This record gives sequence, structure tokens and C-alpha cells, in this order.
Amino acid sequence: MSAKDILFLAEFSDGKPARSALELATGAAELASASGGQAVALAYGSGASAGAAGLGAQGASRAIVLGDEERPAIGYAPAAIAVARDGGLAFLAPATPNGRDLAAALVGSLDLPAFGPVRAVRVTDGTVETEQATLQGSVITTARPADGAPAPAVILVLANTFTPAEGGSGSADLSQAPAAEASAFDSVTIAESHPAETSVVNLEEATMIVAGGRGVGSEEGFGPLRELAAALGGAVGASRAAADAGWIPYQLQIGQTGKVVKPSLYIGAGISGAIQHRVGMQTAEHVIAINRDPDAPIGEFADLFVVGDLFQIVPALTEEIRRRKGA
Amino acid sequence: MKIVVCLKQVPATGADKRYTDDLRLDRAAAETIINPLDEYAIEQALRLADAGAVDGVTYLSMGPEQAAEALRRALAMGGDDAILVTDPALAGSDEWATAKVLAAALDKLAPDVALMGMASDDARGSLVPGAVAAIRGLALLSYGAELQVGDGAARVRRLSATGFDWVSAPLPVVASVTDQVGEPRYASLKGIMAAKRKPLETWSLADIGLSSDALRGAALTRVTDARPPEAKPPTERIENLPAAEAATKIADWLSTRKLI
Repeated sequence: MSAKDILFLAEFSDGKPARSALELATGAAELASASGGQAVALAYGSGASAGAAGLGAQGASRAIVLGDEERPAIGYAPAAIAVARDGGLAFLAPATPNGRDLAAALVGSLDLPAFGPVRAVRVTDGTVETEQATLQGSVITTARPADGAPAPAVILVLANTFTPAEGGSGSADLSQAPAAEASAFDSVTIAESHPAETSVVNLEEATMIVAGGRGVGSEEGFGPLRELAAALGGAVGASRAAADAGWIPYQLQIGQTGKVVKPSLYIGAGISGAIQHRVGMQTAEHVIAINRDPDAPIGEFADLFVVGDLFQIVPALTEEIRRRKGA
Repeated sequence: MKIVVCLKQVPATGADKRYTDDLRLDRAAAETIINPLDEYAIEQALRLADAGAVDGVTYLSMGPEQAAEALRRALAMGGDDAILVTDPALAGSDEWATAKVLAAALDKLAPDVALMGMASDDARGSLVPGAVAAIRGLALLSYGAELQVGDGAARVRRLSATGFDWVSAPLPVVASVTDQVGEPRYASLKGIMAAKRKPLETWSLADIGLSSDALRGAALTRVTDARPPEAKPPTERIENLPAAEAATKIADWLSTRKLI
């Protein structure tokens, strides 16, 4: 590993990279061209060995496989530590539960500086500089490693901070992680697995999100939101109130204790815009709110606030979008 | 079976917050609360105690002297005793330094489970539980919607891609829980009175065997700028229009921005 290399975590499932892996590969390649190093993937999860070389399409020069067994993500920490021990300028991890677990293991094991979740990363004067919204978005802070801090800098990156590069044909050089030391993380196992019968989209991967809150009123109330999301080519999300009410799975909850999303478009229907929800979506590029209450707090930070009944406006909008896309 | 809940005092949600001239959060200026997500960890620990699954609940916090208030508030909810690690050398600690300090204090307390909230309200890195586990060489059970202990092991119910898993490890462990564990209880008047008599010890860095040199100035990171977010253009409003007309206007708005 060169001291200029940019490492990144790449999670695989059934041989396919998560969208976060494609985003971080693209971001790592951009940063590596600024630092004069290489983008190096640390790939893990089912099918990682088979799929990791493909990250070359997004600009990864090398891919190091941490393992591809079925196990909790933290079980890959010993291998990730063995790789990162070798240095590098930065280590990018997705700001997801799995990404955070692995990032945290590195920070604690190797005494590395930690940043994030960040909304921007750059290489300036040979070091990394990050930008983060803190204190519920009331302050934007810029931070760097302290002078003389060990490397790589561990950086949690929000979804959609980088847009995956398309059409590349490169292939990353594949290798295996060096043997790891025995660790207590090896003792963490999945004792029971209870998958849902229906599949649930990964909200962090959606670029268009239609989210519903208390105002949606019921499980059935999400029907029109699903139609709108389908017309946009996006996904449905929810506030905690809607998830707590059992109208929608917790996997689709956006906010402080749910997913932190950064889509191009976020439409909030029947969502008041409490601070806990806001921190999960405030970095969306465009925000539309549809709410019956003209004084709803979401009106203070939406780009476009439509005051009215979501059960009339959402279907009408779906129809209008279908009409325009069909034309 | 002994459990230690780590908690952090944070500025109240919505409180006026500002950074000092040396780019640290001005913790003296804001009204403070227990980090709301740590209250779920407290609730989870107290439920285990109520069920007889654990014998003792200890609280641990790192912060300025006034963080003792947060520990008293936790003791008013329940539990047995509390430790505050406070030292002038800890001002401006980052996540790494926080993890080092908590890990050293936990080494001294040696609980079967060190339990934390899933994130702090003010920074949201969520790295402290995993970093503490790594430093102490213990297993990590993170993001539990529920924590169970027994038979020499602990397990958490954790959301998976579609459903959930039970993730398990032999004790001792470091664990974190989410807001799905159940709503935190309120402190009763009796609890508030009782809390005043519960032991609350204050430890310095020396008490946990750490030096400020080992903590490298309490941070491996350096904040170089803190500023208000970019001003957004004022919100455009669509009001008092029939749904079809409102839909046309929204679609135009989306088209202009190349979103459809």
C-alpha cells in the first residue's frame, strides 16, 4: 500500500456490488487521481471473490478480498485491519450499520482518525479534508487529520455523495487479504435469520424517494405513494411514525435512527418534518413537501411546498408524470 | 451479571448551539440533556434488571463536571451507581479519544455487557461502540432492536436487508441498541429522591491509567472551519389549487430541474 492510496469498503451480495461500493469506487478513483495513488477495494460478502475485479469499471486499480462467507460484517474486521495496517491516505466506508461497524473496528484497533458521516471529501495539499453537517445540520464543519495522526483517515461517506461512473471497462487486480490475527470479532455469529417474505428495496440506493408519514394514515395509504415512486423510477420511504405504526417495514424508515439518504429528489407526503426525520434527508438535492397543514415545519426547509390533500395531489401527480413520460 | 450503560450529555435538540473561537462545541452555552438515543440503552438495561437477567446497572459518562447532572437523571430512572470520567485534558475529545477513555474505564469496571445508544445526537458518527470493542478486544453486537443475555452469551435482534437476524456472541461483549427497544421510562419523584443517595464517583485520566500523551491532545482530528449551512433559496409554495393544476405545476417544477 502506498501512503497515497485511497482504500474503500465494497460490500457484495450474491456476487453483486452494493450501490455504495460503486459510489465509493468512483469517489476513491477521483481522490486517488488527486493524491497520486491508487483506488483499492476491500471487498467482502457473498460473491465478493467473483465480483470484485469488476470494480475496475469505476476506477478501482486493485481489489483485496476480505472474505465471502455468510457472516456478520464485523466478522470481516480482522481482515480489514490486516490490510489497513499497511497504510494508505484514506479509508472510505459507507455510512451504513455494516460500514460503521467495520470503520469503528479500524479506528479502535489501529488508532486512526475518524470522520463523518461526511457529505464531501477532497484531497488538499496531500491530505484529506472532509465536510460534515453536525448538530442536526445547524453547523457545517470542515475537518482534517491532526498533524502527525496515523493513516489512513477513516471516513464515513453518506450515500449519493459520489455518482457511480458508468461504462468503464477496467478490471481491478484481485488479491486476498493477508492472514488476520485471531479476534473476538470472529465469535460474532448469526444465530437465527428471519428474512421477510417480500423483498425490501435498499433506500440508500434510491435516487428518487417518495416518503410518507403520519398523514398517510394507514398501510393502504401508502398505495398512492408507491404508484408515484414507480412512475418516478424511485422507492418509497417513511418517517418513524409510519414505521412505528406498522404501516411499513423499519428498513424503509428515514431519519436519525433509520436510513440517512441523499437522493436527487425527495418528496415528503403527510410528513411534518420533525428534526429527527430531517437529519435523515436534509442533504437531498431537491425536496418537495405535500402537506395539508400550511404551517408544517417541513415547509421551512422544502424547496417546494404544496399545501393540500396528499390523497388528491399524489395520484394527480402520478398521472401527470406518466403522461409526460409516455409522450 | 453486570451491565454498564455508557451515556453522553448533549445540547438539547433545538437548543441554541455555537462553536467557540477554537472550533469546539460550546458545551457551557447550551441547555443539556441525556443523548436521547442513550435513553434507549438505559431503558434496555433497566428492563433486563427488572426481569432479573442482570444484577447491577452502572452508568458511565465522559464529559465536563456538569455531565454529572446527566448521570443523576439516569440514576433517577433506575440503576445502582455511576462513574463520571472528567479531566481538563479531555476537552475537545473526538470519537477515537472518547472510545479510548471509555474503554479504559470499562477495563476497570469489567462488566459482562457494556451497552450504548446507537449514535449521539450531536455528531452521529456511531463509531464509539465498535471502537471500544476493538480497543478492549471484545465482540461487538450493534444496532440491536432488543438485547437478550443469558447462558454466558448475549444476542441482539438486528434489522437485516429484508427482515431481521439474531446476532450472538459469548460474554463479555460491547453492544449498542436502537430506539426500537421501547420507550424510555420517566423518572418518578421517588426515583429522583433515591438518585440523590446513589453513589456517583468521579474519575480522572490517571484513575483509569491513561495519560494525556497517550490521548495525543484528545483528538486525531482537527476541525478547521465551522460555519452555518448555505442559505437555501426561499421555499416556493403551491396553495389553493385544484389537484390537477397543482400536479401540472409540480411536474413543470420537476421538468425544469431535469428530474423527469
